[in-house]
Formats: sequence, C-alpha cells, structure tokens
Amino acid sequence: MAEKLIGTDIAPPDLIAKITGRARYSEDFRPDNMVFAKLLLSPMPHCRVREVDATRALAMEGVIGILRAEEVPSREGPREACLTDEPHYEGEPVLAIAAITEEIAADAIEAIDVDFEPLPFVLDPLDSLRPGGPTAYTDGNRFARAPDAEQGDGPVWSDFKWTEADFAEIDAGRMPSDAVAISNWDKGDVDAAFAEADLILEEEIVHQSVTHHPMEPRTNMAYWENGKLFAHVSTQSAQRTKAAVAGAVGIDQEDVVLIAPYCGGGFGSKIAGTTPMQIPAIFSRKINRPVMLRITRYEENYVGRARPGFQTWVKMGFRSDGKCIGIDLFIVEEGGAYGSGDNGTAGAIADLIYTPENMRFRAVSMYTNTPPKAAQRGPGGAQIVSMLEPILAKAGRELEVDALQMRLINAPDPDVAFGPRGSTLTSVHAKEALEQGAELFDWAGKQALSGRREGTKVTGIGVALSPYTAGSRGFDGLMVIRPDGKLYVHQGIGNLGTHSISDTARPAAEILGLNWDQVEIVWGDSSRGMPRSSVQAGSQTTHAHTRANHAAATDAARKIRQIAAQSLGGSPGDYVLDNGRVFRRGGGAGMSFAQVAERAIQMGGEYDGHELPDDIHRETVPAATMLAGEGLMGVAKDNYGGRGGVYTFVAGFAQVELDVETGVVDIKEFVGVTDCGTVVHPRSLGAQLFGGCIQGMGMAMTQKWVYDPKYGVAFANRLYTARPPGFLDIPLNMKWAAVGIADPQTPVGAKGIGEPPVGAGAAALTTAIADAMGTCLCRTPLTPDIILSELEGRDPAFGRLDQHVG
Amino acid sequence: MDLWRRAADPWGQDVLIGVSWDLMWAAIWVAAAFLIGHFVWIKFRPSEAHEATEVPAGIPERIQRHSLASRVFHWTMSASMLVLLVTAFVPMLGLQFAWVEIHWIAGVVLTATIIYHIIHSIGWQDFWSMFQIGFSEGVAHLKHIMSPKAPAPKAGKYPFDHRMFHHANVVVGLGVIATGVLMMVRIDTPLWAPNPYMLADSTWGVVYVIHGLCGVSLILLTASHIYFALRPEKMWITWSMIRGWVDRDHYLAHHDPAKWVVTNGAAPPSVTEGTPRAAETAEAEGASPEARSASE
Amino acid sequence: MAIIRDMIPAFELFQPNTVDDALALLDEHRDEAWVLAGGLDSYDWFKDRIKRPAVVVDLGGIEELHGITEEQGGLTIGAMTSLTEVVNHARVQSDYSVLATAAEHVATPQIRNQGTLGGNIAQDTRCWYYRSGWPCYRAGGNTCYAAAPKAMNREHAIMGASRCVAVSPSDTAPALVALDAKMTVRGGGSPKVHDAEDFFIGPAIDITRMTVVKPGDLLTAIHIPAAWANAQFYYEKVRDRGSWDFQLVSVAAAFQVSGGTITDARISVGGVAPYPVRLERVERLVTGTTGGESVVNEAGELSVQGARVLRHNDYKIPMMRNLVRRAVRSVA
Repeated sequence: MAEKLIGTDIAPPDLIAKITGRARYSEDFRPDNMVFAKLLLSPMPHCRVREVDATRALAMEGVIGILRAEEVPSREGPREACLTDEPHYEGEPVLAIAAITEEIAADAIEAIDVDFEPLPFVLDPLDSLRPGGPTAYTDGNRFARAPDAEQGDGPVWSDFKWTEADFAEIDAGRMPSDAVAISNWDKGDVDAAFAEADLILEEEIVHQSVTHHPMEPRTNMAYWENGKLFAHVSTQSAQRTKAAVAGAVGIDQEDVVLIAPYCGGGFGSKIAGTTPMQIPAIFSRKINRPVMLRITRYEENYVGRARPGFQTWVKMGFRSDGKCIGIDLFIVEEGGAYGSGDNGTAGAIADLIYTPENMRFRAVSMYTNTPPKAAQRGPGGAQIVSMLEPILAKAGRELEVDALQMRLINAPDPDVAFGPRGSTLTSVHAKEALEQGAELFDWAGKQALSGRREGTKVTGIGVALSPYTAGSRGFDGLMVIRPDGKLYVHQGIGNLGTHSISDTARPAAEILGLNWDQVEIVWGDSSRGMPRSSVQAGSQTTHAHTRANHAAATDAARKIRQIAAQSLGGSPGDYVLDNGRVFRRGGGAGMSFAQVAERAIQMGGEYDGHELPDDIHRETVPAATMLAGEGLMGVAKDNYGGRGGVYTFVAGFAQVELDVETGVVDIKEFVGVTDCGTVVHPRSLGAQLFGGCIQGMGMAMTQKWVYDPKYGVAFANRLYTARPPGFLDIPLNMKWAAVGIADPQTPVGAKGIGEPPVGAGAAALTTAIADAMGTCLCRTPLTPDIILSELEGRDPAFGRLDQHVG
Repeated sequence: MDLWRRAADPWGQDVLIGVSWDLMWAAIWVAAAFLIGHFVWIKFRPSEAHEATEVPAGIPERIQRHSLASRVFHWTMSASMLVLLVTAFVPMLGLQFAWVEIHWIAGVVLTATIIYHIIHSIGWQDFWSMFQIGFSEGVAHLKHIMSPKAPAPKAGKYPFDHRMFHHANVVVGLGVIATGVLMMVRIDTPLWAPNPYMLADSTWGVVYVIHGLCGVSLILLTASHIYFALRPEKMWITWSMIRGWVDRDHYLAHHDPAKWVVTNGAAPPSVTEGTPRAAETAEAEGASPEARSASE
Repeated sequence: MAIIRDMIPAFELFQPNTVDDALALLDEHRDEAWVLAGGLDSYDWFKDRIKRPAVVVDLGGIEELHGITEEQGGLTIGAMTSLTEVVNHARVQSDYSVLATAAEHVATPQIRNQGTLGGNIAQDTRCWYYRSGWPCYRAGGNTCYAAAPKAMNREHAIMGASRCVAVSPSDTAPALVALDAKMTVRGGGSPKVHDAEDFFIGPAIDITRMTVVKPGDLLTAIHIPAAWANAQFYYEKVRDRGSWDFQLVSVAAAFQVSGGTITDARISVGGVAPYPVRLERVERLVTGTTGGESVVNEAGELSVQGARVLRHNDYKIPMMRNLVRRAVRSVA
C-alpha cells in the first residue's frame, strides 16, 4: 500500500542543496562574457536630474555601457520605472553602468557627475493632506479620474487636501469626522450602535512601516540568445513571473526562459516581476552581453520595498458582555512613492474579527517620498490585527470580561458575512482555534498571572485572532508519467522558500497510489514547461495547487485506468492504482506505470498530451504541447469550484514579562493554533506558523524605518539598524497546533498558512504588553524607550501620530 | 597646499566646509618669516638723520594718546583675541584641551568690546584720525622704507602703518566676529538649543570659510602687532597703551603738530608733575633719539 | 562624484608579524594607513566607501597582541584577543566576571569570535548621521546633525556632549572603567599607559576621535589590576533586541563589600555620553553605606543630575537612573 503522504513530514527535495550551499540562486549563474551592472541611486527624496556627465566613467577601462531612464519603459503618472530622471524617493535608481567587474562598475558610478535639482518632498501622509502642505509629486498628491471625467478620460493630477477644520480635530487628538475619504464603505448604522453601546473606546494608533528584508536581495541576471530572453531572477512565483517579465520587456511570454529554482524569501516584495528585473533584460539587449545586477543589502532597503505604515483613528462600541457592536475606522496609509492599498484589506479584516454588524470604514492612501510600498506578508491584515486587538483587550479590562472571552464572543462563525461586499467564507474554525490554543497555552492558569508583579517584572497575557486570505481557484495542473515509471509533476509555482513547491504535489501522488520516492518535482526552469499557476502571494498556493494537481492527477488516473482496461480487458472501474502499478481490484492482471507510459505514447491522443482539454488556460498550452509524447500526461484545470473566499485563521497567545525599570520585554511563551483546513506537512506548517509569528513579533517590537525629516534621508537602512528579530528575541517556549478540520469546499481540504501568523504574533505581543502595562500604547514598534517613557510618565518624544521616528 | 576643505552634504552635493588647516601653517610660516626678516633687515639698515624741528609753543610735556577707557578696551579686546587665537589654533597644533566653550565666551567678550569701541570711537573719539587712507602719506612712508634717506613722514595721531593695520583688523575682525556670532546659533546654551538649519549647508560653508580666512589672517596680524609693539624703537608707543601718554620729544619727532593738535592746554590727567619722561625712557632703551627716530 | 555603497574599494594590505613592523608601516604611510583588528568597525566604513585608506595594516598575525597573561597580580589582555576568548577565560570569569559578562553582551557570537577587545574599546561611534558620511563635526565638518531640532537622536548622548552628541558604543568600556583598567598605547615614543577613564576622550578635547589613540598609534594591551578582583560586580545592558544591538544604556559596577558595607565602589555607565561615564559622586555617596533603598534612590537621582536631553532621548534619564539603582541595589 503506498504510503499516506498528506499529513506526514517529508524532507523537501531542495533541503540538502540549501544546507550544503549547492543551491543556485540567480547570483550563482555566471555565463561567459557576463558583465556586472551597478546602480546610481538618488541621494535626495525628490529631485530632477538636470544633467549627467558620464564621460569619465565611460572612458574607464572595462566599462561597457550606461543605461539611462529614457531607454527603459515608463508610464505616465505615479508609476515606477526601473530607472528614472525624476526620483521620488532617496535611493531610487537613476541609471546603471555595466563593466567587466563589479569593482570597476562601482568606480565608474563614482566617476559620474549628476546635477540633481532638489524638489520639495514629503515623508508623512498627514503633512501632504495639510492645507498648504507639500506633495510627493510636483503635479499634486492624487492621480485619479476627475469627478467630472468623461468616457475615455484618463486619470489626472490634483491636490487632495483636508481642511483646516479637519486638522483642528486631528491636532486636538480626535478623528477628523468630516474629512473626505478616498475609499469608504458602511454597513448597518454605526452612530446608532454607538448610542446604545455600554462602552466606547476611541484611540489614535500608529503602525510603522517596515522593510521586507528577505535574506536574499533581488539579484537578477539576464541574457538574450536566438531572440529569447533568459532571465535568472529572484522571485516568489514562477510561471506568472515569466509572464510579468515578458510584459515588462515587451515580448511574447514564450520568448522568455525563466530560471528561478531558489528564492531566499520575498514576503510580498517579489511576488512576480520586480522593477530591477527589467534592468539586466534591457541592458543585456543593448550591449549584447549577459548582465548581472547584484542588488546589495543597502539597495534592498530602498528598491526592496516596505510594508505601508498606517496612522489610524478608531472608535469601537461594546455591549456590557463584551460584544463589539460598532466600529468607526479611519486609516491614513503611507503610500510611498508609487502608492499602496493595504487599507482595503485592513478594513475588511477588522469587520471579520470583530463582527460588529455596524461599521464605517474610511481611508486615504497618500503618496510620500519614501521607498515604494508593497504587500508584506499579510498586507493590511497584520497591521490592523496588531493595532486593534489591544483595544479589544482594553475593552475587556474595562468591562471586566476575560480577554479570551472577549475574543470568542467577537470571533466569526462559519456563516459570517464581512467587508464591503458581504463576503462569505468556505470554512471558519476560528473559535475552535481559540479554544484549542487556550488549552495548549493554559489560558486559565496564565490569567492568574496577568498583572502579577515580581520584583521589577510585571506579567502580561495576550490573545489575538489573525485571519488572512488562504486560497484561490481555477489554475492548471500538469504532470507526466514517463517510461521510467515515475511521476513528473510540473510546477508552475515558485520556490519562494516555503515547501509548497513539493507539498502541493502530494495529492497527485496519493491519487495515483505512488510513494514519494516515485515522484519528481519539476520546478524552477520555465523551459521545462509550466502550467498556468497562481502567484505565490496571498497564501493561496497550498489551496490552489493541491486542487490543480489533484485535478491533473485525477485526469491521469482516469487515463491510466482506461489504458489498463483497453490493454488488459474489463472496464476502467475494475482497476486500482497502487505502488506504481495499475491492476484489477482483488489482484490479477496489471501494468506498471512504466508500461502505461509507453502505451500512452503509442496511443497518442489525450493520453500523451497530443490532445488537450478545452478549458485549460492558453498559457498552459505551450507547456503541455512541448511535453506531448513524453508519457502519460495528466493535465486539467481546477474546476472544483466553490463559493466564498478562502481564509485561514491563526489564534495567537503570548505571555510576556515586562521590566518596569527598563522597559525591556521578555517573551516567556507563545502559542499559535491555526485553522488552515487539512494539514499537508506538519513540520512545514509549524515552521510557517513560527516564522510568520516571529516576523510579526519583529514588526510589533523591534523593526521600523527612520528618516531624518530635514533631508528626507533614511537611516534604518542596514540590517542592524532595521532591527529584524534575532534568535534571542524569540521565546524558547513556542508551541503550535492545528485544528485540522478539512475545508469542505476543496478536495484536499487544505488552506494556506503563510500570512495569518504575522498578525497573530504581532497582536499577541501588543495585547500582552498592554495587559502588563495596564494601558495600550497604540504604537509599534514597542521598543524599551517608548515603554519606559510611558511607565515613568514622561512626555512622549514625538507626536501621537508621528511615524518614522527613532 | 590646500586652500579649502570640501565635503559632500547629506544630499551628495559638494559644499565648502571651511579653510584648509594648511592655511594656518602658512600664516604661521609667513608671520615667522616676516618677523625674522624684519628683525634682520632693521639690524642692517643704516640709521637715518633726524630733522630737528622747532618746538612750537604750548605743547605739554606729556601728550595723552589713549584715555583710560581706550586702554581698558584695548587690553580687554586683545586678551580675548589672544584667548581666541590660542583656543582656535593650539589644539590643531597638537595640544588638545576643551576649547570650545572658552572660545565662544572669549568671542562674546570680543564682540562686546568691539561694539563698545565702535560706539565709543564714533561718539567720543576722533574718528577721522584713524579712519582715513592718507594716500600721500602712504607714498612717503613707502619711500622712507625703501631708503632711509627719504624722510619719514610726520603723521597725525595715527601714522600710516598704524592706520593700515587698524583697517586690516577692522575688515578681518568684523569678518570673524560677524561669522562667529552666526555660529553661536550652533552652540547649546542655556538660552537656546542648536539650530544648524538656520542657513543652508552651502551658506554655512561660506561662513566658515570667512571665519577661517579671517582667523588665519589674525595670526599674521596679531603676531606682527605684538612684534612691533615689543620693538625697542616702538616701545614708547607701547607704553602709551599702558600709561596713556607719549612724551613731547617723541611726539615732536614723529608727529605733525598741525595734524595731531595737542595745544589745547590741558595736560593728560595721567601725567604726574615733574620728571621729563622722554630722557628716562631713552636711557632705558639705551638708544639715541636719532637712532630711535631713524628706525621708523 | 556620485555615491555608491556596499562595495569595498581596493586597498593595499599589509600583514606585519610584530608591533614594531606595524608601527613602522603606520609611520611610513601616515594618513593613508588604517589599522585593522577584527574588522567589524572597519568594514562598515569601507563598504560604504566613506573611509577609503590606500593601505590597511592587519594586526591579525601579530602574536604578541594576542592572548591573556597573568601579570602583577592582575591580567594583561592583548588588544587583539577575541571577545570570545575574553568571555571564556577562566580567570576573567572567576575574578573579573563583570568583564566576561560585558564582553558576552557584545553583538552576536559570530561577531565576538572575530571582534577583539582592543577593537571593541577603540571602535568609532555609531551615530547614524556620522556613519552615513554626513559632514558633521566628527567628520571634520561644521554641524552636528543629530543635535538639530527635529533630528533622530534617540540613541544619542544625555551628558558630556560638546557640539557632538554621539555616544560611546563599547559594551566592554564601562566594565573596564569599573575595573580601573589601564590601556597601553604605543606610538612615536615609548609606550604610554592610560587609565581607562582617560583613554576615552570626549568631543571637547578632540571631536574627531573617541579615544587617545591617534593615527599612527597602536593600542597594544589592556591591563586589569588586581585591585578589583573578586569584587561584587553588576552589569546590565538595555537594548532594543536580545542580541546584536548596541546599548541604549548600560551599567557596569564593582563594589568592595566588607561586612555588608560598601568600602569602595566603581560605577560606570555606557550609552549616555561620548565616553563611558564614571559616576564618581555616586561612588562617594554609596561608599560607607550598606546599599539600602534610600541610598539606592539617592544614587539614581544623583547619577542623572545635569543631564541634558535631546528631542528623542529623554527616556535615557529614567533608564540610566534605574540601572544605577539596580547596580547599587545588587549589593544588599
């Protein structure tokens, strides 16, 4: 009997390569004649290039060429180009130099004289909203279709400002109730809800921007051969990255060969194509040599993106039993130089975890002259959970309702409808996760410790619920059983550092009755054939591709049975698949998969991929066509359907000890329990849960951006100043568990896990620290100086809504 | 030898930072060369004949050159100036100590004295005795330097070289003080916190360059001033900055009574009756009146 | 000239075997030479292309600079001894544990393996304005950007500032001050021995360097005298994360205690001034007492008297005060 694969621990196929250093990342590929490119970055937050004198640089021996902004694609409006003559953030690439060694390229950059004209800049979105305040673009701070636009009119620039009256409220510490929002939605009647609430809490909250800082900077290398672009890139996805690169460079997808077997993390900053990918592609075409652009850690700070920060006002109304009955939420988002939209998800998730039934959501996202903002692991969700869960806990303290009880009474049930469109979900086991976590954490025992003071240490206990999207539908699976008898699963997904690259193939192995050693994962090189796949973002991969591979394997199984019946007699239903063979149920005649493969090739048609299903995506067709005739092909679209969104929930619990004399927080214990449907790979799930929670802890406790306000220049631009959490920042005592109830609307029952833990880790800490302090600081990161200052009753160093301070 | 120090400002733009410390060394070397050169030159210069003039009537024995107020001003100003120079340059020469506070306090003192002096000289002193160019006198002075046979011009209260020295100090002094006052904005004092952004980086660079140029010029000016003040043939002037008066013989030897009018009858209040100081001082210096006057 | 970072420019590397050879190289190459110990400070400057010496003199091969020896009843630690070796040394742990604890709080294990004790105390400040290559006073310019009205200065000094408000980042420095350590510096003439307190100079004396070590000099050894062996020690470092970070504030203290009474004390605080601050008045205050609560509180208040805060580092006052209190409280 073939081993059961789903729910077991199997070492990923790339483990040894990664540990031994044999894994090749984009920077490890060095074709002949390759040159190195180096970037010249903008020294100012907003400026215009008046003149570039590169004569000395181009005259240097070993310098091959220069690439300027006018040679790369650009679009009108606030759209990022890979090189620009009007940088909108300090650190934005202006031009690139190629030389035979990196040292020469760097020396050449220094030999270039650029005359930059400084322009006004803005770092804080509120400054941009203030009447008379600066705007990130010279043409304004909002790029949208005018209210009176006609059909076919494009977006235009305008100056979007709030009024003096709005700022009078803001400066007095209140939500600017009349301020115009760019996005908004309502449900129920929030004012009526507040009128009947037994408790109303109003807070101003700041969540600071943090850089992604994946361990691998986004180095890329590219060259052209026979009209095709060979792109060695650092990316989270694969098939979709190939499409993105083709689009960015303006060529057909099938003229791109994407090589990306490994990625040292992306966290949302490398979802598919990235702007730096364009530079080697375009430069190598220009100079006719392979170009390697190694992005340094310094550059990674800037072009590597960051999570947008939020400045938020919230008003929450509660009944005496702890139920939240109304939320008024207003978010100002720091859009960076090219805009961002985390606020939408934030609003929806707030509705999901508090189920208030009455809600008003408003948001503006303003351009600032800071590095581009991008999705970062749980965009919008991680922030809002980290920001609002302490408010819930505070309400519990004031209403004298236990914090876990507060969480449970407000958690969604399976029939929840939330967000602007009343979205529903395929499965919700949030309460089970909370209850299971409470037991694992010993909530009852820990509650007795809440607020306990021993010497200078105060204990705080926190609980939080963090949901995030965790699935999608409709992608294609593609696999071939070759005459060697093995199943080759062609993954179009990226190997972004999780294990979904191989785990999503397990359903296929199980359906085909194969042991894992009979399965080969084909990944990382688009020339080997990639089906239409999801992007590796939104934690959707496990869900989407267990389905896609399930569908393709089901297709293969059908064909195998048919071949067996045709070859050996009887009907397909008489046959069973196990251990690499197809044979009559109850024993009897059978064929090995190797034989099936050969038979498929002889039979042709749909069996070996010469005929393809009508409904697969057109992007899958070239890959399938290429593999036709190689064996028994399983190819199918995920038509399993489903209603509602797919969300995973993580319940986080934390116990902290806060030293009241120093402000230092020691995390004593952390528990994370998830409802992510069926658990495919337990050890991997644990790693994702811990990893995500730790990232959330860093977001809550240590990481931030800092700018000098006078020059608009960033300071936390080294790993040691950006302060991502280290090994000694996390508790030794960390536990995880999974509810494990299969999602009913997906064949394998598995949902994703990548993102929800971040909010859980962050919010468990922000709530635990608030519990220890007896007050909510409403700000991240909670570094010792901020905590101590509050405990000692000293004037805070900065305004309540200030960001980027340090 | 560098003249300036430049740097990249926070936005990567090239700005001036200040003068190069090479200029300090240059000033020291030039001052040393000038002083030694002058000393040697004077030693080998033949003495010159001194024209006897008739003694007009009504010239008192002691003529007031500097009032008490002027002298207090001068010595306070020069003390603060010396402190400023020492605190400015000695650390760069190798002896390090906490100099900044002393420097700006001395600078405040200097500024106060100069403000006093400007008001006092305009309102209470003979402003034009100093504030003139006197071109023809200058030419005569120059000719006299070239050849001892050409007679030294008879000066008003302040001879040509004194006036030129003072003009140089006015320019350089006002330059260093004005820039120094601006720089006070960068100091953390009980009255205000530093605000370096009052001016742009490039503007501050210019401020520091002016301060530096004036400062190193002051090395030269101060060194030569002290040298000349200690020269035997000039000691009678130096004494006047201490005691307030010059004696009649020196007055008649070097000054034109028509230009420096002293016959208003009143004797300088600091003079006590009696002893003819001129002869005494001459004896003390051990030089003949002729030799002394020839050394101008 | 455009700016580029993260690419070390070329330099000529010399790896002398003796101190004399190293000094001769420094003398020959003057201001073109740079001394390399563990490199944890140097490489950051080189990578940023802000300091670009033509010549680098690597002390790693000089045996006489490595190792810990017993001398005059105390210990002499070669300047190039790794921090890990200092942490693990039996006699440092048994008799001078405050130094072992302090050294163990430096950064991370990897950095401690490569970093040296000499390098740790001679390291340059980490003010991020200065480290970004801005033309501040310390860099030879005319401004302190960190002391400007809206500057980002949560990590900067609350005392001892003189135009420059950067802090001394060394974790071992306060411990060495508390141990009355002596540093031997060799330069032009014969070796000079400096008391730890005098080894660290403030910006008032020379705003361009943190210690008495001038270009052309070499710090060769740190001597811990026997005086404070087996004293009662206290060390604490407060930082943002559990590792890697420099201190926000740290304290190192040594107490001679006899019959419950403090007979002598050394208390030094890091992270609050451009040099490790020795709290002599506090030492005098606690001497002769038993370290009871009222002395503890008085000591804390006295330690922060005269502090001048910047916009973002006000918290250092209670933090310093509390650390000093904890140091004194540890005696009782």
